[in-house]
Amino acid sequence: MANMREIRERIASIQQILKITNAMYLMSSSKLKKARKALEATDPYFYKLQETVISILEHTPHTRQQYFDRREEIPEDKRKKGYIVITADKGLCGSYNHNILKHTEAELAKAPDIDNCYLFVMGQVGRMYFQKRNRNKENFVDAEFVYTTQNPTLYRARDIAELVLEKFEKGDLDEVYLIYTDMITSSQFECTTVQLLPFERRHFSVAPDGSLKKLPKASFSPSPEEVMSYLIPQFAKGVIYGAMVEAFCCEQQARMTAMDAATTSAKDMIKELSLLYNRARQAAITQEITEVVGGANSLEEN
Amino acid sequence: MAKTFHLEIIAADRIFYQGECEHLVITAIDGLMGILPGHEPLVTCLPTGELKYMTNGKWHYAAISEGFIQVLPDKAVILADSCELPEEIDIKRAEEAKERAQEQLRQKQSIKEYYQTQAALNRAMNRLKISQKHFK
Repeated sequence: MANMREIRERIASIQQILKITNAMYLMSSSKLKKARKALEATDPYFYKLQETVISILEHTPHTRQQYFDRREEIPEDKRKKGYIVITADKGLCGSYNHNILKHTEAELAKAPDIDNCYLFVMGQVGRMYFQKRNRNKENFVDAEFVYTTQNPTLYRARDIAELVLEKFEKGDLDEVYLIYTDMITSSQFECTTVQLLPFERRHFSVAPDGSLKKLPKASFSPSPEEVMSYLIPQFAKGVIYGAMVEAFCCEQQARMTAMDAATTSAKDMIKELSLLYNRARQAAITQEITEVVGGANSLEEN
Repeated sequence: MAKTFHLEIIAADRIFYQGECEHLVITAIDGLMGILPGHEPLVTCLPTGELKYMTNGKWHYAAISEGFIQVLPDKAVILADSCELPEEIDIKRAEEAKERAQEQLRQKQSIKEYYQTQAALNRAMNRLKISQKHFK
């Protein structure tokens, strides 16, 4: 049986950790409230945006817009793929980071040539992970792409959207994907990949009954090309912002759950250890008494 | 009762307006554009500017920054980065943003930075203009 001092020290150290996890729990729960509010405020915009763009594209005549350019002349293994990955800035949030990293790895494995993959990672954890993973290859993780995932703002989303659109226009990237964690219910998350660029028309023109509808063409002012070249950056920005808000909310939720679990198991451990401690103390006392009584007895006999 | 159409104005952080509207005037890229019930289907983009809509014979004004509008036979949807009533505009913040942008424009910048600052300045000026015009 472990001795009393050892157990006492262990209990003290667990109590210290309990304080930390409990504080983090409280912090993340208050942050979660804020994130939830932001998510609820953004959700109508996020969904309406997708819905509207879908319906606009159904009415759009064929345009030779650069964002629709699929660049089919480039063979599959030469295509440069960009991935925007949203991870957390800190650990201690359960499997949140692992899931998104694993999901990204799976996406990367699908690509024919990893040398043509470029990552734009938001959040420290993901950056560290991917920088370590491919040390020998430069430009794998964009070094200048440093954005935090905390308290997402539209301003940051605009920056990111401009950056990837510019790279796409220049031909530095041929495809752009966005990988983030989607909140399905408050306790259920799912890692999702969304293709941002090139804009795929066929994603959108799906009629519910599977038939191809003849849709009236809407008029565009001043011209479809012009409207598209304005609308698509707007759409990209909106989608990135929505994803950021969604991911941040998931992160806080994951952290809260993880910290709650840690606090509970710390409490359980303390309970168990104090039982052990009491038992050890009792044993020590009993032993002492036996010794004293034994000593006294032997004295009497003499 | 005048003829109306359904109007939805959705900003990135909230639903700004949802309801019936008799007349809508937006600032499109090439100038003001009025939309009445029964307008032809139309898609156009909205730069930073002013927006007004009439409900029950009364005009409502708002400052809008970067968005687009889709007009369908029976309704219109506006999606924008932000949309504010004149009385909601934080004048102090807008003034600070304006000064910050002007300060940055005086310094050496890359073309990209220049455009960004210009857009920021534009937003700030628009906010100030609208709050001065309609909210005294």
